[in-house]
Amino acid sequence: MEPGHPAVAALPGRGPVKAGLASGWDSLLLPALGASLLLFLLPQALFVKNSLYAPLGFGRIGDELTLQNFGRVLTDSLFLYSFRLTAYLSFLVAVVAILLGFPLAYFIARSQSRWRSLLVTLLVVSSFITVVIKSLGLIVILGGSGPVNRVLVGAGLVERPLTLLNNQFGVVVGLLHYTFPLMALVLLSVVQTIPASLEEAAEVMGAPRRRVFTRILLPLCLPGVLAGGLMVFNMSMGAFTSAALLGGGRVPVLPILIQRKIISEVNYPMGATMSVLLLVAVVALNVLAVWLLGRFRRLSAGMRGTL
Amino acid sequence: MTTRRRWGLAAVVVAIYAFLLAPFVVLALSSLSGGEAYYISFPPRGLSTRWYLAIPASYLRSFAVSVAIGVASALAAGLLGVAAALGIVRGRYRRKELLKAFFRAPLQIPLVVSGVVFLQFYYVLFGLTGVRLLESFTGLLLAHVFISLPFVVGTVCAVLEKFDRRLEEAAYSLGASRWTTFRRVTLPVIRPGVFAGMLYAFIVSFGNVPVSLFLVGPRLTTLPVDLFYSMEYDFNPSILALSTLVVVFSVLTILLLQRLMGMDVLVRAGAKE
Repeated sequence: MEPGHPAVAALPGRGPVKAGLASGWDSLLLPALGASLLLFLLPQALFVKNSLYAPLGFGRIGDELTLQNFGRVLTDSLFLYSFRLTAYLSFLVAVVAILLGFPLAYFIARSQSRWRSLLVTLLVVSSFITVVIKSLGLIVILGGSGPVNRVLVGAGLVERPLTLLNNQFGVVVGLLHYTFPLMALVLLSVVQTIPASLEEAAEVMGAPRRRVFTRILLPLCLPGVLAGGLMVFNMSMGAFTSAALLGGGRVPVLPILIQRKIISEVNYPMGATMSVLLLVAVVALNVLAVWLLGRFRRLSAGMRGTL
Repeated sequence: MTTRRRWGLAAVVVAIYAFLLAPFVVLALSSLSGGEAYYISFPPRGLSTRWYLAIPASYLRSFAVSVAIGVASALAAGLLGVAAALGIVRGRYRRKELLKAFFRAPLQIPLVVSGVVFLQFYYVLFGLTGVRLLESFTGLLLAHVFISLPFVVGTVCAVLEKFDRRLEEAAYSLGASRWTTFRRVTLPVIRPGVFAGMLYAFIVSFGNVPVSLFLVGPRLTTLPVDLFYSMEYDFNPSILALSTLVVVFSVLTILLLQRLMGMDVLVRAGAKE
């Protein structure tokens, strides 16, 4: 609108409309920024500092800064095993979540039936329910006399009930149940942005289904799929509940080790040291993944440019 | 898509939903078991509501605490998050991507680490000022706002970036004050994003164990932590009944929200990035 427009001129004391609406937004950021700095950087700093004191037992800590905790943790074979185990299980859960989530998201995104909204609602309901209750239900299902084992034994597929709990299998199932609904919702939003007409065009031109998938769907979805996988990996690395309940204390992932150090052993410096290492590893992996994704995006944008 | 392939895909989808929903169905069935057994019996032996009547009152208290903290976190994260998103998207900041990354950072911190961080922070704060945040509502709330804020900032930023500013210009040029313009034009347009973010803020807070675990105590605890300790140390079948009630509560809440805000909100809630 022109500044001299009657509608604007009729409002005395008002400058140009755009300028009038443009100012003053900056300060809105301040409350959240202040709160985040206070709740984020300050505690993190304190926490990293805490990992540098020597534990003296019974919750007391030394008063000199030292790196000895890191030395002790990094040479502790249980910690190193736990670290590898946590990363391995999280990676496994992320891969399975992608492999199961993508077909599901694709099905929902392309479905025009009246079931569609029900399917989405069920995903939201499942993500709404606390992981403790999910784990309890899974314990009933996977238990020695649970329905899964009854069916397997009843059908004569196995002689004795399988051990599906208190081991890595149970933990993976639990983590999958915890992260899957969110993963499916993220993937759904990714697939939804890809018009079905693109696939139809390729099919009309005679591309076989597999080629439509590898040349159209996969490249377009890959950044979103990897971002979703990263989210599942992050969630699993920090997940304590499902590992504790379905692992029955026999799958010592890092969150469990940290919780034991702090709550059972009241060893804050060692707990903090382990937490710092977990945090550093996860953040480093995320930075690496985001960097790779950025490179991939530039690469595919460049390729599109040459076509 | 060929018919055979479509049926194959549908079978996979049914299997996935069976996996997702089975725990809740099984819980509901075993909670109705009438046996004297003090362990889980599935399929249930006889039908009875005795375990529902045996739910200890302490669980109801922690349930109330969880709901209150969830609602308070959603409201606080909603207010802070909407303001922050407006500031990021519309302010004259140069490094907007950096600001967004900063607000996303809590999502990358393993939850159990956040729990430890807040525990130590509250210890130090208590030592320095005498303010006691451990085992307090405020302390839990602060930690929960921290982990749920990214969801609101993320969804609201996404909506604001697509916002057509000409709508506001029209209102403002016709004489609406800036506050009226915001209330009557901006807010209705961004509302789905705000609700989606707040819904996720509530979910993240309501179900949380790894952060709350470090901050609660006998005097104040949340339902997930209460249930967690019961399962670890003193299981009894009334936990099944209580869990079933929480599942029913969650389903009703979702249905209510859906009725109030529309399907769109739920889909958007998942598409937070």
